[in-house]
Amino acid sequence: MRRTAAVWAGKATGALSRISRRGGGTTLPGDVARAIDPDVLRKLSRDLKHGAVVITGTNGKTTTSRLISWLLEGAGHSVVSNRAGANLIFGATAAALERAGVNGRLQADWGVFEIDEASLERAVDEIQPRAAIVLNLFRDQLDRYGELESIAKRIETAMSHLPEQSRAVLNADDPRVAEIGMNLTRKPLWFGLDDTSVAMRELPHAADARTCPRCGASLQFDAVYVGHDGVYRCPNGDFARPAPEIAATHIVLTGFESLAMDVDGAHIELPLGGLYNCYNALAAFAAAISLGLDEAFIADRLRSVRAAFGRQERLEADGRRLNLVLSKNPAGFNETLRTAIDLAGGRYFLIGLNDRRADGTDVSWIWDVDFERLRGRAQVVVPAGNRANDLAVRLKYAGVEGAPPESDPARALNALISATPTGETAHLLCTYTAMLDLRTELVRRGWAKPYWET
Amino acid sequence: MARHKKTFTVGWLYPDLMNIYGDRGNILTLLKRAEWRDFEARLIELGRGSSKRMDEVDIFFFGGGQDREQALVYEDLLETKQAPLERAVTAGAGVLAVCGGYQLLGHYYQTGEGERFPGIGMIDVRTDAGKRRFIGDVIVDTSLVDVQPPTLVGFENHSGRTFLGPKAKPLGRVRMGFGNNGEDHTEGCLQGGVIGTYLHGSLLPKNPHLADHLIRSALKRRGITELVPLDDAAELAAHEKILARAKTPDGPRAQR
Ligand SMILES: [Zn+2]
Repeated sequence: MRRTAAVWAGKATGALSRISRRGGGTTLPGDVARAIDPDVLRKLSRDLKHGAVVITGTNGKTTTSRLISWLLEGAGHSVVSNRAGANLIFGATAAALERAGVNGRLQADWGVFEIDEASLERAVDEIQPRAAIVLNLFRDQLDRYGELESIAKRIETAMSHLPEQSRAVLNADDPRVAEIGMNLTRKPLWFGLDDTSVAMRELPHAADARTCPRCGASLQFDAVYVGHDGVYRCPNGDFARPAPEIAATHIVLTGFESLAMDVDGAHIELPLGGLYNCYNALAAFAAAISLGLDEAFIADRLRSVRAAFGRQERLEADGRRLNLVLSKNPAGFNETLRTAIDLAGGRYFLIGLNDRRADGTDVSWIWDVDFERLRGRAQVVVPAGNRANDLAVRLKYAGVEGAPPESDPARALNALISATPTGETAHLLCTYTAMLDLRTELVRRGWAKPYWET
Repeated sequence: MARHKKTFTVGWLYPDLMNIYGDRGNILTLLKRAEWRDFEARLIELGRGSSKRMDEVDIFFFGGGQDREQALVYEDLLETKQAPLERAVTAGAGVLAVCGGYQLLGHYYQTGEGERFPGIGMIDVRTDAGKRRFIGDVIVDTSLVDVQPPTLVGFENHSGRTFLGPKAKPLGRVRMGFGNNGEDHTEGCLQGGVIGTYLHGSLLPKNPHLADHLIRSALKRRGITELVPLDDAAELAAHEKILARAKTPDGPRAQR
């Protein structure tokens, strides 16, 4: 009875907030329903015919969730999944509510939930997932999350509370994620990259977690793929990257357009670019295998996936192509810059930096992003967002001649469009709310669809 | 005979372990501002076990770290860095220590349970653990007399409460934010060539006048007292932006 009331109240809130267009109704219904019945998500999760998958990690949660949903849907299952940016427990609750029927029951085969690192413990307890994926642990929003170490501890606690028949699917290439996995009593399913042709030799400036958890020595890297993710070992021999069962070889990256790799004898190709998406695809592959999907089917289905909102979204704008890429912390930003410059040959840029809660109120991290990569390569760089002035200073010290800082999204967009020749592609790399602000302007001009329609 | 460029050397203490709050911004700012004035700017990275060429350093930078890293640094600091660091500072070198680095240069850090981790005592400050974290934008009216504008802006994120002894003077008074301890309105410390502070953001890029104060002070021992002025329009615009939004009625916190 209580659960039915909670579901109905939640659904009504969702409808109202969608009508008023305040963020597409992503989390508020969850708040309302949980206030009436705190166990509503636990109860709804039990209705799932086959179970649920939860995905956590600093970068790639949304894309990986999207890939797993895509795979499960392709196999004929109905999937309930939370929206980008709604990855707290309230967001997952809201997503489940939206799909609940008039009887208060959730009608779906699978749940696929991306979960904020800090909410994982509660999510595991309530959702009781069949598989839990940890993608990576990078430095991100220290103002909100606190130190990497405390986040890692919380994830470890959550993972140790996974139900008996559940599988932990972990990135072997991330030293801090590996440490979590090694402390678990049941062996996780490890995934990782095995192709030094796409590796860097040295750790980027933004790297963290570079010391051995056993003896404190600095880890040695034989390959660096993304941030501090790579092939590492302690010089004292007491800690090393676990050998991945699900390993990617023969990686081919084509700009933001596509990537290809061999996994376990299967050849995978998908229309997403960048090395970081190799990890996302590999994580989805590993999860799908652990849920019993067939390798050949996974490979075939991935060919036709589409990017999630704001993650490599491609738009047409006044004869120019726009490529929107969410870039919210040093590890992610360095990768999108590397992809845009080295792989896609990008020359026209808008960088958007906001310091609202969802972005992180501390913008110090921009100094750990290698904007030096733009020097001599970018034709125009427009600093945008409410901290555009900070970006302008960062660019100056990177030796990049930027356009004047422009915190108004409409004017920033004008500056970018007028500097980008017709037929060329401009890359918009933005933090979360800077992306929302720009997108609102793009929608207003009819260049993008509102995000609840994508 | 070819004219040799004057050198300017920054020593970065534990760049791999104590590098959490965009500390690289402080390093870049020091190096670039020297380069733009035609100095040959050099960076010496002083990791664990290394104390090479510390006598060549003009300015040492000591940044913030996570607890796990800070613990790893402590022993090495005592063993390989303390003596040469003290020698260099006595000879006129400068030090900028932010957050964790600031705490480690003081007398001790005391946990909530009363356990004391001794620092190296180069500056007359002590730090107690606090329950609540102080997080947010900070504006400081600085006590430095040779800088213009007379404000410093930055971002703080710390739970330590630092108190100054009689030998340490505050770097300034907080106009907005918490500063050293949230009680006495002081922020940071100044003591014989050492500047300790909780401000990052990064600190020096938006406070070019503080960067120049550090550079000028460190070069004094080499007979250089004046620095060629630079165009700081971009830096000061970013500085001004923080001051301006603090004045808006809803303030920087409310707008989030
Ligand atoms: Zn070791």
